[in-house]
Amino acid sequence: MSALLEVDKVEAGYGAVQVLWGCDMVVNKGETVLLLGVNGAGKTTLLRTLVGLQPCRGGAIRLAGEDVTGLGPDARIRRGMAYMSELGVFPTLSIAENLRLGAYGASNAEARRRAEAMYQMFPALAQKRRSAAGSLSGGQRKMLGLAKALMSGAEMIFMDEPSSGLAPVFVTQVIETLKGVIGGGTSLLIAEQNIAFLELADRGYLMDHGKMAVSGTRAELESSDAVRRAYFGVGAEG
Amino acid sequence: MQALLEYAIVGGVLYGIFFGLVAVGLNLIFGVMRIINLAHGEFVILGGFGAYWLSTSLGLNPLWGLPLAALGAVVIGFPLYYAVVPGLQRSRDPEMLSFILFFGLAQIIDAIISLGFGPDQRSLPDEALGGGTISVLGQAFPDSWWVAAGVAILAIMGLWLYLTRTRLGFATRAIMANRDEAFATGIAVDRVSAIAFVIGLALAGAAGVFVPYLQGSVAPGIGNNLTTTSFAILIIGSLGNPVGTLFGGLVFGVGSMLMQTFYASWSDLVPYVLLVVIVLLRPQGLFGKAVRNA
Repeated sequence: MSALLEVDKVEAGYGAVQVLWGCDMVVNKGETVLLLGVNGAGKTTLLRTLVGLQPCRGGAIRLAGEDVTGLGPDARIRRGMAYMSELGVFPTLSIAENLRLGAYGASNAEARRRAEAMYQMFPALAQKRRSAAGSLSGGQRKMLGLAKALMSGAEMIFMDEPSSGLAPVFVTQVIETLKGVIGGGTSLLIAEQNIAFLELADRGYLMDHGKMAVSGTRAELESSDAVRRAYFGVGAEG
Repeated sequence: MQALLEYAIVGGVLYGIFFGLVAVGLNLIFGVMRIINLAHGEFVILGGFGAYWLSTSLGLNPLWGLPLAALGAVVIGFPLYYAVVPGLQRSRDPEMLSFILFFGLAQIIDAIISLGFGPDQRSLPDEALGGGTISVLGQAFPDSWWVAAGVAILAIMGLWLYLTRTRLGFATRAIMANRDEAFATGIAVDRVSAIAFVIGLALAGAAGVFVPYLQGSVAPGIGNNLTTTSFAILIIGSLGNPVGTLFGGLVFGVGSMLMQTFYASWSDLVPYVLLVVIVLLRPQGLFGKAVRNA
Protein backbone atom coordinates (compact mmCIF):
# COMPACT_ATOMS: atom_id res chain seq x y z
CA MET A 1 0.00 0.00 0.00
CA SER A 2 1.18 3.52 -0.72
CA ALA A 3 0.87 6.44 1.64
CA LEU A 4 -1.76 9.06 0.75
CA LEU A 5 -1.37 11.27 3.80
CA GLU A 6 1.92 11.68 5.63
CA VAL A 7 2.02 13.67 8.84
CA ASP A 8 5.56 14.41 9.94
CA LYS A 9 6.27 15.81 13.45
CA VAL A 10 3.38 18.29 13.25
CA GLU A 11 3.15 20.99 15.93
CA ALA A 12 0.21 23.36 16.42
CA GLY A 13 -1.55 25.41 19.08
CA TYR A 14 -3.61 28.44 19.96
CA GLY A 15 -1.78 31.58 21.08
CA ALA A 16 0.68 30.68 23.83
CA VAL A 17 -0.84 27.22 24.30
CA GLN A 18 0.79 24.42 22.35
CA VAL A 19 -1.62 21.56 21.65
CA LEU A 20 0.17 19.23 19.24
CA TRP A 21 3.65 18.01 20.09
CA GLY A 22 5.33 16.38 17.10
CA CYS A 23 2.53 14.18 15.78
CA ASP A 24 3.44 11.49 13.23
CA MET A 25 0.84 9.64 11.22
CA VAL A 26 0.31 7.84 7.93
CA VAL A 27 -2.93 7.08 6.11
CA ASN A 28 -2.62 4.78 3.11
CA LYS A 29 -4.75 4.82 -0.02
CA GLY A 30 -8.22 3.37 0.60
CA GLU A 31 -7.52 2.84 4.28
CA THR A 32 -9.76 3.68 7.23
CA VAL A 33 -7.84 4.99 10.22
CA LEU A 34 -9.34 5.75 13.61
CA LEU A 35 -7.93 8.55 15.74
CA LEU A 36 -8.91 7.76 19.31
CA GLY A 37 -8.55 9.98 22.33
CA VAL A 38 -10.51 11.56 25.14
CA ASN A 39 -11.89 15.10 25.00
CA GLY A 40 -9.01 17.56 24.90
CA ALA A 41 -6.44 15.06 23.62
CA GLY A 42 -5.91 17.20 20.49
CA LYS A 43 -7.90 15.23 17.90
CA THR A 44 -9.85 18.20 16.56
CA THR A 45 -6.73 20.39 16.50
CA LEU A 46 -4.87 17.72 14.53
CA LEU A 47 -7.66 17.40 11.93
CA ARG A 48 -7.98 21.18 11.66
CA THR A 49 -4.22 21.45 11.16
CA LEU A 50 -4.26 18.72 8.51
CA VAL A 51 -6.93 20.48 6.45
CA GLY A 52 -5.35 23.92 6.96
CA LEU A 53 -7.85 25.56 9.31
CA GLN A 54 -5.17 25.83 11.97
CA PRO A 55 -1.62 26.95 11.16
CA CYS A 56 1.04 24.27 11.32
CA ARG A 57 3.84 25.58 13.54
CA GLY A 58 6.29 22.82 12.83
CA GLY A 59 6.70 19.64 10.83
CA ALA A 60 5.16 18.84 7.46
CA ILE A 61 1.95 17.51 5.93
CA ARG A 62 2.09 15.71 2.58
CA LEU A 63 -0.81 14.61 0.42
CA ALA A 64 0.07 12.06 -2.27
CA GLY A 65 3.70 13.06 -1.88
CA GLU A 66 3.08 16.79 -2.30
CA ASP A 67 3.92 19.10 0.61
CA VAL A 68 0.72 21.00 1.41
CA THR A 69 1.88 22.49 4.74
CA GLY A 70 1.87 26.07 3.44
CA LEU A 71 -1.47 25.89 1.60
CA GLY A 72 -4.81 27.28 2.78
CA PRO A 73 -7.84 25.04 3.30
CA ASP A 74 -9.39 25.84 -0.09
CA ALA A 75 -6.19 24.85 -1.91
CA ARG A 76 -5.84 21.63 0.12
CA ILE A 77 -9.48 20.72 -0.48
CA ARG A 78 -8.99 21.30 -4.23
CA ARG A 79 -6.10 18.81 -4.09
CA GLY A 80 -8.32 16.06 -2.70
CA MET A 81 -8.95 16.56 0.99
CA ALA A 82 -12.34 17.00 2.65
CA TYR A 83 -13.23 17.77 6.23
CA MET A 84 -16.46 16.93 8.02
CA SER A 85 -16.53 19.14 11.10
CA GLU A 86 -18.56 18.37 14.20
CA LEU A 87 -21.15 20.84 12.91
CA GLY A 88 -20.82 19.39 9.42
CA VAL A 89 -23.48 21.46 7.64
CA PHE A 90 -24.76 25.01 7.14
CA PRO A 91 -28.05 24.93 9.09
CA THR A 92 -29.53 27.98 7.30
CA LEU A 93 -28.92 26.55 3.83
CA SER A 94 -31.04 23.91 2.17
CA ILE A 95 -29.86 20.34 1.75
CA ALA A 96 -29.35 20.87 -1.99
CA GLU A 97 -27.34 24.04 -1.33
CA ASN A 98 -25.19 22.28 1.28
CA LEU A 99 -24.41 19.53 -1.22
CA ARG A 100 -23.58 22.05 -3.95
CA LEU A 101 -21.06 23.74 -1.67
CA GLY A 102 -19.57 20.37 -0.77
CA ALA A 103 -18.51 20.17 -4.42
CA TYR A 104 -17.42 23.83 -4.43
CA GLY A 105 -14.72 23.47 -7.08
CA ALA A 106 -16.82 21.33 -9.44
CA SER A 107 -18.93 22.55 -12.36
CA ASN A 108 -22.72 22.81 -11.96
CA ALA A 109 -23.29 19.75 -14.14
CA GLU A 110 -20.73 17.65 -12.27
CA ALA A 111 -22.16 18.79 -8.90
CA ARG A 112 -25.67 17.80 -10.03
CA ARG A 113 -24.44 14.37 -11.06
CA ARG A 114 -22.71 13.82 -7.71
CA ALA A 115 -25.74 15.12 -5.77
CA GLU A 116 -27.98 12.56 -7.51
CA ALA A 117 -25.58 9.82 -6.40
CA MET A 118 -25.84 11.15 -2.82
CA TYR A 119 -29.62 11.19 -2.95
CA GLN A 120 -29.52 7.53 -4.03
CA MET A 121 -27.23 6.72 -1.15
CA PHE A 122 -29.26 8.77 1.38
CA PRO A 123 -32.93 8.61 0.30
CA ALA A 124 -34.02 10.51 3.43
CA LEU A 125 -32.11 13.55 2.14
CA ALA A 126 -33.67 13.31 -1.31
CA GLN A 127 -37.15 13.87 0.11
CA LYS A 128 -36.06 17.05 1.85
CA ARG A 129 -33.67 18.61 -0.65
CA ARG A 130 -35.35 22.04 -0.44
CA SER A 131 -35.56 22.04 3.38
CA ALA A 132 -33.09 23.86 5.60
CA ALA A 133 -30.38 21.58 6.97
CA GLY A 134 -31.25 22.96 10.41
CA SER A 135 -34.62 21.22 10.21
CA LEU A 136 -33.01 17.76 10.02
CA SER A 137 -32.68 15.45 13.01
CA GLY A 138 -29.22 14.95 14.54
CA GLY A 139 -28.68 11.65 12.72
CA GLN A 140 -29.84 13.04 9.38
CA ARG A 141 -27.57 16.03 9.87
CA LYS A 142 -24.58 13.70 10.20
CA MET A 143 -25.70 11.95 6.99
CA LEU A 144 -25.83 15.32 5.25
CA GLY A 145 -22.42 16.22 6.68
CA LEU A 146 -21.02 12.97 5.30
CA ALA A 147 -22.75 13.48 1.94
CA LYS A 148 -21.40 17.05 1.79
CA ALA A 149 -17.86 15.76 2.42
CA LEU A 150 -18.30 13.00 -0.19
CA MET A 151 -19.55 15.58 -2.73
CA SER A 152 -16.00 16.92 -2.95
CA GLY A 153 -14.88 13.66 -4.53
CA ALA A 154 -11.93 13.78 -2.13
CA GLU A 155 -9.52 10.87 -1.79
CA MET A 156 -8.82 11.77 1.84
CA ILE A 157 -11.73 12.56 4.16
CA PHE A 158 -11.26 13.74 7.74
CA MET A 159 -14.23 13.24 10.06
CA ASP A 160 -14.43 14.97 13.42
CA GLU A 161 -16.58 13.09 15.97
CA PRO A 162 -19.30 11.73 13.68
CA SER A 163 -21.02 10.34 16.79
CA SER A 164 -21.14 13.60 18.76
CA GLY A 165 -24.54 14.58 20.05
CA LEU A 166 -26.18 11.39 18.81
CA ALA A 167 -28.18 8.82 20.76
CA PRO A 168 -26.59 5.32 20.69
CA VAL A 169 -29.10 4.00 18.14
CA PHE A 170 -28.08 6.77 15.71
CA VAL A 171 -24.40 6.10 16.37
CA THR A 172 -25.00 2.55 15.13
CA GLN A 173 -26.74 4.02 12.08
CA VAL A 174 -23.74 6.28 11.34
CA ILE A 175 -21.38 3.30 11.64
CA GLU A 176 -23.54 1.26 9.24
CA THR A 177 -23.56 4.14 6.76
CA LEU A 178 -19.77 4.46 6.93
CA LYS A 179 -19.45 0.76 6.13
CA GLY A 180 -21.10 1.60 2.82
CA VAL A 181 -18.46 4.25 2.10
CA ILE A 182 -15.45 2.17 3.09
CA GLY A 183 -13.98 0.11 0.29
CA GLY A 184 -14.90 2.67 -2.35
CA GLY A 185 -11.28 3.79 -2.63
CA THR A 186 -11.65 6.77 -0.29
CA SER A 187 -9.30 7.06 2.67
CA LEU A 188 -10.98 7.97 5.94
CA LEU A 189 -9.43 9.41 9.08
CA ILE A 190 -12.08 9.37 11.80
CA ALA A 191 -11.49 11.19 15.10
CA GLU A 192 -13.66 9.70 17.80
CA GLN A 193 -13.88 9.16 21.52
CA ASN A 194 -16.36 6.38 20.90
CA ILE A 195 -14.46 3.06 20.76
CA ALA A 196 -17.34 1.48 18.81
CA PHE A 197 -15.85 3.00 15.65
CA LEU A 198 -12.82 0.72 15.98
CA GLU A 199 -14.75 -2.01 14.13
CA LEU A 200 -14.56 0.13 10.96
CA ALA A 201 -10.85 0.74 11.11
CA ASP A 202 -7.89 -0.98 9.47
CA ARG A 203 -5.56 0.78 11.86
CA GLY A 204 -5.73 3.35 14.61
CA TYR A 205 -3.88 5.87 16.74
CA LEU A 206 -4.48 6.76 20.37
CA MET A 207 -3.83 10.41 21.14
CA ASP A 208 -3.00 11.65 24.60
CA HIS A 209 -2.06 15.22 25.57
CA GLY A 210 -1.28 16.18 22.00
CA LYS A 211 1.00 13.22 21.28
CA MET A 212 0.53 9.90 19.57
CA ALA A 213 0.58 7.48 22.51
CA VAL A 214 -0.16 4.20 20.70
CA SER A 215 -0.54 3.16 17.10
CA GLY A 216 -1.27 -0.16 15.49
CA THR A 217 -3.70 -2.36 13.64
CA ARG A 218 -7.23 -2.81 14.91
CA ALA A 219 -6.27 -6.07 16.65
CA GLU A 220 -3.23 -4.47 18.25
CA LEU A 221 -5.29 -1.56 19.57
CA GLU A 222 -7.99 -3.87 20.89
CA SER A 223 -5.40 -5.69 22.95
CA SER A 224 -3.42 -2.59 23.94
CA ASP A 225 -3.20 -1.86 27.65
CA ALA A 226 -3.22 1.90 27.05
CA VAL A 227 -6.43 1.68 25.03
CA ARG A 228 -7.96 -0.61 27.65
CA ARG A 229 -7.07 1.87 30.38
CA ALA A 230 -8.42 4.80 28.37
CA TYR A 231 -11.61 3.10 27.26
CA PHE A 232 -12.61 -0.29 28.51
CA GLY A 233 -11.56 0.43 32.10
CA VAL A 234 -13.86 3.42 32.39
CA GLY A 235 -16.43 2.25 29.83
CA ALA A 236 -17.00 3.62 26.35
CA GLU A 237 -18.18 7.19 26.12
CA GLY A 238 -20.81 8.21 23.67
CA MET B 1 -57.42 63.83 6.90
CA GLN B 2 -57.88 60.75 4.72
CA ALA B 3 -56.05 62.38 1.85
CA LEU B 4 -53.17 63.16 4.17
CA LEU B 5 -53.09 59.58 5.37
CA GLU B 6 -53.10 58.27 1.80
CA TYR B 7 -50.37 60.72 0.89
CA ALA B 8 -48.24 59.51 3.79
CA ILE B 9 -48.76 55.84 2.96
CA VAL B 10 -48.12 56.04 -0.79
CA GLY B 11 -45.14 58.31 -0.22
CA GLY B 12 -43.94 56.13 2.63
CA VAL B 13 -43.99 53.00 0.49
CA LEU B 14 -41.93 54.67 -2.26
CA TYR B 15 -39.57 56.28 0.24
CA GLY B 16 -39.28 52.99 2.12
CA ILE B 17 -38.49 50.90 -0.95
CA PHE B 18 -35.76 53.39 -1.82
CA PHE B 19 -34.37 53.17 1.72
CA GLY B 20 -34.39 49.39 1.41
CA LEU B 21 -31.84 49.89 -1.37
CA VAL B 22 -29.88 52.40 0.73
CA ALA B 23 -29.58 49.84 3.55
CA VAL B 24 -29.22 46.54 1.70
CA GLY B 25 -25.51 46.94 0.96
CA LEU B 26 -24.76 47.51 4.64
CA ASN B 27 -26.71 44.35 5.44
CA LEU B 28 -24.74 42.28 2.93
CA ILE B 29 -21.36 43.58 4.11
CA PHE B 30 -22.23 43.14 7.78
CA GLY B 31 -23.54 39.63 7.17
CA VAL B 32 -20.42 38.48 5.36
CA MET B 33 -17.65 40.38 7.13
CA ARG B 34 -19.24 40.94 10.57
CA ILE B 35 -18.16 44.54 10.52
CA ILE B 36 -20.30 47.65 10.46
CA ASN B 37 -19.17 49.65 7.48
CA LEU B 38 -19.30 53.07 9.16
CA ALA B 39 -18.46 54.62 5.80
CA HIS B 40 -21.60 53.14 4.24
CA GLY B 41 -23.42 56.48 4.04
CA GLU B 42 -20.36 58.08 2.45
CA PHE B 43 -20.39 55.45 -0.31
CA VAL B 44 -24.07 56.29 -0.86
CA ILE B 45 -23.17 59.98 -1.19
CA LEU B 46 -20.31 59.16 -3.54
CA GLY B 47 -22.95 57.64 -5.83
CA GLY B 48 -24.98 60.84 -5.55
CA PHE B 49 -22.02 63.04 -6.46
CA GLY B 50 -21.11 60.66 -9.27
CA ALA B 51 -24.56 61.17 -10.76
CA TYR B 52 -24.26 64.93 -10.20
CA TRP B 53 -20.91 65.00 -11.97
CA LEU B 54 -22.20 62.96 -14.94
CA SER B 55 -25.21 65.26 -15.20
CA THR B 56 -23.54 68.66 -14.84
CA SER B 57 -20.08 68.09 -16.33
CA LEU B 58 -20.82 65.55 -19.06
CA GLY B 59 -24.49 66.40 -19.67
CA LEU B 60 -25.48 62.76 -19.28
CA ASN B 61 -28.64 61.39 -17.72
CA PRO B 62 -28.04 60.83 -13.98
CA LEU B 63 -29.14 57.20 -14.43
CA TRP B 64 -25.69 56.62 -15.97
CA GLY B 65 -24.66 56.92 -12.33
CA LEU B 66 -25.86 53.32 -11.85
CA PRO B 67 -23.21 51.69 -14.07
CA LEU B 68 -20.71 54.25 -12.74
CA ALA B 69 -21.51 53.08 -9.18
CA ALA B 70 -20.90 49.47 -10.20
CA LEU B 71 -17.61 50.38 -11.89
CA GLY B 72 -16.54 52.54 -8.95
CA ALA B 73 -17.35 49.74 -6.50
CA VAL B 74 -15.08 47.35 -8.43
CA VAL B 75 -12.25 49.89 -8.68
CA ILE B 76 -12.45 50.93 -5.01
CA GLY B 77 -13.86 47.80 -3.41
CA PHE B 78 -11.40 45.06 -4.36
CA PRO B 79 -8.21 46.97 -3.43
CA LEU B 80 -9.87 48.28 -0.26
CA TYR B 81 -10.95 44.79 0.79
CA TYR B 82 -7.54 43.25 0.25
CA ALA B 83 -5.77 46.22 1.88
CA VAL B 84 -7.95 46.22 4.97
CA VAL B 85 -9.15 42.71 5.74
CA PRO B 86 -5.86 40.79 6.13
CA GLY B 87 -4.72 43.43 8.62
CA LEU B 88 -8.01 43.22 10.49
CA GLN B 89 -7.78 39.44 10.70
CA ARG B 90 -4.29 39.62 12.16
CA SER B 91 -5.32 42.11 14.85
CA ARG B 92 -6.37 41.17 18.36
CA ASP B 93 -9.70 43.01 18.25
CA PRO B 94 -10.87 43.09 14.63
CA GLU B 95 -14.31 44.51 15.42
CA MET B 96 -13.07 47.56 17.31
CA LEU B 97 -10.32 48.14 14.77
CA SER B 98 -12.82 47.94 11.92
CA PHE B 99 -14.98 50.58 13.60
CA ILE B 100 -12.05 52.97 13.83
CA LEU B 101 -10.85 52.13 10.35
CA PHE B 102 -14.15 52.67 8.59
CA PHE B 103 -14.88 55.77 10.69
CA GLY B 104 -11.59 57.19 9.41
CA LEU B 105 -12.44 56.15 5.87
CA ALA B 106 -15.78 57.97 6.16
CA GLN B 107 -13.96 61.18 7.13
CA ILE B 108 -11.55 60.79 4.23
CA ILE B 109 -14.35 60.30 1.70
CA ASP B 110 -16.21 63.31 3.12
CA ALA B 111 -13.10 65.44 2.84
CA ILE B 112 -12.41 64.32 -0.73
CA ILE B 113 -15.99 65.09 -1.77
CA SER B 114 -15.73 68.52 -0.15
CA LEU B 115 -12.47 69.18 -1.98
CA GLY B 116 -13.91 68.09 -5.29
CA PHE B 117 -17.40 69.55 -5.13
CA GLY B 118 -17.33 72.10 -2.30
CA PRO B 119 -19.50 71.98 0.81
CA ASP B 120 -22.76 73.01 -0.91
CA GLN B 121 -25.93 71.01 -1.31
CA ARG B 122 -26.33 69.77 -4.87
CA SER B 123 -29.55 68.80 -6.56
CA LEU B 124 -30.41 67.30 -9.94
CA PRO B 125 -33.07 68.33 -12.48
CA ASP B 126 -36.37 66.47 -12.14
CA GLU B 127 -36.78 66.33 -15.94
CA ALA B 128 -33.90 63.90 -16.23
CA LEU B 129 -36.04 61.15 -14.68
CA GLY B 130 -39.28 62.12 -16.38
CA GLY B 131 -40.27 65.41 -14.82
CA GLY B 132 -43.95 64.52 -14.47
CA THR B 133 -45.86 62.84 -11.72
CA ILE B 134 -47.61 59.52 -11.30
CA SER B 135 -50.67 59.30 -9.09
CA VAL B 136 -51.92 56.44 -6.96
CA LEU B 137 -55.02 56.87 -4.80
CA GLY B 138 -55.08 60.44 -6.07
CA GLN B 139 -51.70 61.16 -4.56
CA ALA B 140 -49.17 62.47 -7.08
CA PHE B 141 -45.48 61.78 -6.63
CA PRO B 142 -42.67 62.77 -8.98
CA ASP B 143 -41.57 60.30 -11.63
CA SER B 144 -38.14 60.25 -10.00
CA TRP B 145 -39.61 58.64 -6.87
CA TRP B 146 -41.19 55.88 -8.96
CA VAL B 147 -37.98 55.34 -10.92
CA ALA B 148 -36.04 55.10 -7.66
CA ALA B 149 -38.48 52.57 -6.21
CA GLY B 150 -38.42 50.54 -9.44
CA VAL B 151 -34.63 50.44 -9.57
CA ALA B 152 -34.52 49.57 -5.86
CA ILE B 153 -36.85 46.59 -6.32
CA LEU B 154 -34.92 45.35 -9.36
CA ALA B 155 -31.60 45.65 -7.53
CA ILE B 156 -32.85 43.91 -4.39
CA MET B 157 -34.46 41.12 -6.42
CA GLY B 158 -31.21 40.78 -8.37
CA LEU B 159 -29.30 40.40 -5.13
CA TRP B 160 -31.84 37.87 -3.88
CA LEU B 161 -31.45 35.81 -7.07
CA TYR B 162 -27.66 35.96 -6.72
CA LEU B 163 -27.87 34.71 -3.13
CA THR B 164 -30.41 31.94 -3.73
CA ARG B 165 -29.67 30.75 -7.29
CA THR B 166 -25.91 30.81 -7.78
CA ARG B 167 -23.00 28.90 -6.34
CA LEU B 168 -21.27 32.12 -5.24
CA GLY B 169 -24.53 33.21 -3.63
CA PHE B 170 -24.78 29.93 -1.68
CA ALA B 171 -21.18 30.45 -0.62
CA THR B 172 -21.96 34.01 0.48
CA ARG B 173 -24.82 32.78 2.67
CA ALA B 174 -22.64 29.97 3.96
CA ILE B 175 -20.05 32.52 5.10
CA MET B 176 -22.83 34.51 6.80
CA ALA B 177 -23.99 31.35 8.57
CA ASN B 178 -20.58 30.13 9.72
CA ARG B 179 -17.27 31.44 8.45
CA ASP B 180 -15.26 28.57 9.93
CA GLU B 181 -17.47 25.93 8.35
CA ALA B 182 -17.15 27.82 5.06
CA PHE B 183 -13.35 27.50 5.23
CA ALA B 184 -13.74 23.82 6.21
CA THR B 185 -15.92 23.23 3.14
CA GLY B 186 -13.25 24.54 0.76
CA ILE B 187 -14.99 27.79 -0.12
CA ALA B 188 -12.60 30.53 -1.26
CA VAL B 189 -13.83 32.66 1.63
CA ASP B 190 -11.72 35.74 0.88
CA ARG B 191 -12.68 35.88 -2.78
CA VAL B 192 -16.41 35.39 -2.07
CA SER B 193 -16.29 38.00 0.73
CA ALA B 194 -14.49 40.49 -1.52
CA ILE B 195 -17.20 40.05 -4.16
CA ALA B 196 -19.90 40.59 -1.51
CA PHE B 197 -18.08 43.73 -0.32
CA VAL B 198 -17.99 45.10 -3.88
CA ILE B 199 -21.68 44.27 -4.45
CA GLY B 200 -22.52 46.02 -1.16
CA LEU B 201 -20.64 49.15 -2.22
CA ALA B 202 -22.22 49.07 -5.70
CA LEU B 203 -25.70 48.91 -4.18
CA ALA B 204 -24.86 51.81 -1.84
CA GLY B 205 -23.60 53.89 -4.77
CA ALA B 206 -26.65 52.99 -6.86
CA ALA B 207 -28.93 54.18 -4.05
CA GLY B 208 -26.91 57.39 -3.91
CA VAL B 209 -27.90 58.26 -7.49
CA PHE B 210 -31.43 58.88 -6.20
CA VAL B 211 -30.51 60.73 -3.00
CA PRO B 212 -30.69 64.17 -4.73
CA TYR B 213 -34.27 63.33 -5.70
CA LEU B 214 -35.61 61.61 -2.60
CA GLN B 215 -33.77 63.83 -0.08
CA GLY B 216 -33.96 66.99 -2.17
CA SER B 217 -30.18 67.32 -2.44
CA VAL B 218 -26.87 65.65 -1.73
CA ALA B 219 -24.12 67.25 0.34
CA PRO B 220 -20.94 66.07 2.04
CA GLY B 221 -21.63 65.31 5.70
CA ILE B 222 -25.06 63.71 5.34
CA GLY B 223 -23.48 60.25 5.16
CA ASN B 224 -23.56 59.82 8.91
CA ASN B 225 -27.32 60.04 8.99
CA LEU B 226 -27.65 57.61 6.11
CA THR B 227 -25.43 55.10 7.91
CA THR B 228 -27.51 55.30 11.09
CA THR B 229 -30.80 55.06 9.21
CA SER B 230 -29.47 52.10 7.24
CA PHE B 231 -28.43 50.41 10.44
CA ALA B 232 -31.92 50.90 11.91
CA ILE B 233 -33.51 49.44 8.75
CA LEU B 234 -31.15 46.49 8.76
CA ILE B 235 -32.05 45.72 12.39
CA ILE B 236 -35.78 46.07 11.68
CA GLY B 237 -35.59 43.73 8.70
CA SER B 238 -33.09 41.32 10.25
CA LEU B 239 -29.66 40.39 8.98
CA GLY B 240 -28.68 38.45 5.93
CA ASN B 241 -31.94 38.69 4.03
CA PRO B 242 -32.27 41.35 1.31
CA VAL B 243 -36.04 40.89 1.22
CA GLY B 244 -36.06 41.54 4.97
CA THR B 245 -34.17 44.78 4.36
CA LEU B 246 -36.80 45.84 1.84
CA PHE B 247 -39.42 45.16 4.50
CA GLY B 248 -37.39 47.13 7.07
CA GLY B 249 -37.22 49.99 4.60
CA LEU B 250 -41.00 49.95 4.22
CA VAL B 251 -41.52 50.09 7.99
CA PHE B 252 -39.10 53.00 8.21
CA GLY B 253 -40.49 54.77 5.12
CA VAL B 254 -44.15 54.61 6.10
CA GLY B 255 -43.30 55.46 9.71
CA SER B 256 -41.24 58.48 8.64
CA MET B 257 -43.86 59.75 6.23
CA LEU B 258 -46.65 59.40 8.77
CA MET B 259 -44.60 61.36 11.28
CA GLN B 260 -43.64 64.01 8.72
CA THR B 261 -47.27 64.41 7.77
CA PHE B 262 -48.76 64.56 11.24
CA TYR B 263 -45.93 65.44 13.67
CA ALA B 264 -43.24 66.84 11.40
CA SER B 265 -40.92 68.03 14.16
CA TRP B 266 -40.67 64.51 15.56
CA SER B 267 -40.01 62.70 12.30
CA ASP B 268 -36.21 62.64 12.61
CA LEU B 269 -36.62 60.44 15.66
CA VAL B 270 -38.31 57.63 13.72
CA PRO B 271 -35.26 55.53 12.83
CA TYR B 272 -33.79 55.78 16.31
CA VAL B 273 -37.02 54.98 18.13
CA LEU B 274 -37.62 52.03 15.80
CA LEU B 275 -34.06 50.86 16.39
CA VAL B 276 -34.42 50.91 20.18
CA VAL B 277 -37.88 49.34 20.18
CA ILE B 278 -36.88 46.52 17.82
CA VAL B 279 -33.67 45.72 19.67
CA LEU B 280 -35.57 45.54 22.97
CA LEU B 281 -38.64 43.63 21.78
CA ARG B 282 -37.46 41.51 18.88
CA PRO B 283 -33.66 41.47 18.54
CA GLN B 284 -33.75 38.96 15.67
CA GLY B 285 -35.64 41.55 13.58
CA LEU B 286 -39.24 41.51 12.40
CA PHE B 287 -38.21 39.19 9.59
CA GLY B 288 -35.98 37.00 11.75
CA LYS B 289 -37.72 33.72 11.09
CA ALA B 290 -37.47 34.07 7.35
CA VAL B 291 -33.70 34.43 7.62
CA ARG B 292 -33.30 31.06 9.23
CA ASN B 293 -35.18 29.46 6.36
CA ALA B 294 -33.65 31.57 3.63
